[in-house]
Amino acid sequence: MSRALLAYALGAMRRRAGRNLAIGMGLAVVVLAFATVLFASEALRTASQRYAREAPSLTVERLVAGRASLIDVADVSRVAAIAGVRSVEPRVWGYLYLAALEANVTVVSTRDVGPLDLGASALEDGEAVLGVDVAHAIGLRAGDRVAVSVADSETDADAVPVPRFLRIRAVLDRESALLAGDLVIVNEATARELLDVPPDRATDLAVDVFPPEESAVVAAAIVSAVRGARVVDRESLGRSFELTFDARAGLLSATLVPALLALLLLAWERLTGLSDEERREIGVLKAIGWSTSDVLAARLTEAAIVALGGSLLGLLLAYEHVFVLGAPLLAPALFGWSNVRPALVLAPSSDPLELVMLLAAIVVPFAGISIVPAWRAATVDPDRLLR
Amino acid sequence: MSASASFVRRRLRALAVGVVVVSVVGLVAVIDARARTDAGTLVRARNAAIARATGLSELALSTSSTWLRHPALAAPSSGAADATAGLDVDPAGAAIARQGRGPTIDMHREAP
Repeated sequence: MSRALLAYALGAMRRRAGRNLAIGMGLAVVVLAFATVLFASEALRTASQRYAREAPSLTVERLVAGRASLIDVADVSRVAAIAGVRSVEPRVWGYLYLAALEANVTVVSTRDVGPLDLGASALEDGEAVLGVDVAHAIGLRAGDRVAVSVADSETDADAVPVPRFLRIRAVLDRESALLAGDLVIVNEATARELLDVPPDRATDLAVDVFPPEESAVVAAAIVSAVRGARVVDRESLGRSFELTFDARAGLLSATLVPALLALLLLAWERLTGLSDEERREIGVLKAIGWSTSDVLAARLTEAAIVALGGSLLGLLLAYEHVFVLGAPLLAPALFGWSNVRPALVLAPSSDPLELVMLLAAIVVPFAGISIVPAWRAATVDPDRLLR
Repeated sequence: MSASASFVRRRLRALAVGVVVVSVVGLVAVIDARARTDAGTLVRARNAAIARATGLSELALSTSSTWLRHPALAAPSSGAADATAGLDVDPAGAAIARQGRGPTIDMHREAP
């Protein structure tokens, strides 16, 4: 492209600054919306897949009347006897309503705090590790003590609840909030006390299978061995969440398509109606010797600069919105479950190719519709355009 | 220097400034994204330890139609309990034992 042609395109852009600015901002807003969904869904999908790999190979629950119920600890031996089962651990976890927060927190027992990097010693009775959002909501720090009302099925309903004191051993960091912001991690005895789970019952059984490829076979064997069992397979869980993120991101993007179409329609309407001044401009260019392709190239350049500028601005705003600000416009749609809402700390995981495709999906049709009226005008006799 | 050459030069200079600004901003964004991606990998590895210790791996995502955490484990068919356009979290591969030990009579239909 010649320098003169590029200079003309820039000059034309400046002459129609108001219109180009409006269209560029419109494109920026549409790209912001699409890219926000793309950035957030990819980041969430990556995190979800990573954590799903740490779930037990199989989780065995007991269904009563179609609902998850406490499982008999005696089932551990039945499951452990199945070939391919390396270990079975009865787990105690559940929800505890904290009236002060008007919210449920998740109480979960663990035997091994080694992976949490909190020192070698196991959690003692009455000791807890808190998720950052629970700690922040109550105003607790490591070393504090807090009283929690314990539900006890043995006492009368109108009896005064017995407070149970928890000593806070540590508070998990803010970066873990999306996974563990609402967790209260305690040892098994404390979890049983807080959740009123009797010693011969557990919430579910965590089953480690080796080799992992045998999970489906072992799951079928467990279903036969344990009456009323529901077996959740780690691989299925991961696949299920992947499909879920695909479906939800796709659905959200689909709701944004009308906004893009409306913008393109508006741009079409604005751009097809060439003003007298623009027609005269094209007539002058043709009269001084510009070919039709020169006129189209200038017009295409003008449209491409506007579209690329608007799209890059939208992309940058989406990046800031999701990764710097924590997606404040999207977060309310993702955290409906509780008053204890985690901070959305996300890390970029998008494929650059997806971004290129997103830009192409917006810039190409926009540039395409902008050259149609110019082509129609450029193929008319210059004499007619100048009259 | 002719007037038209000066005009072209001015326009191209403005374009060059624009390109440089966009490139610098883009470069800063790429460097920042790289740093955040690396930090994110470390954070996910650290958080994975929590998932390993607790056995609970689901993100705190939901809709306003349910307060359940770890819904894939907590509620069979929780996907159906959510909003129509909501998160379908019921694991597709959950194996559920049939009632009783005898031959199944599920979907058994008596002749009229």
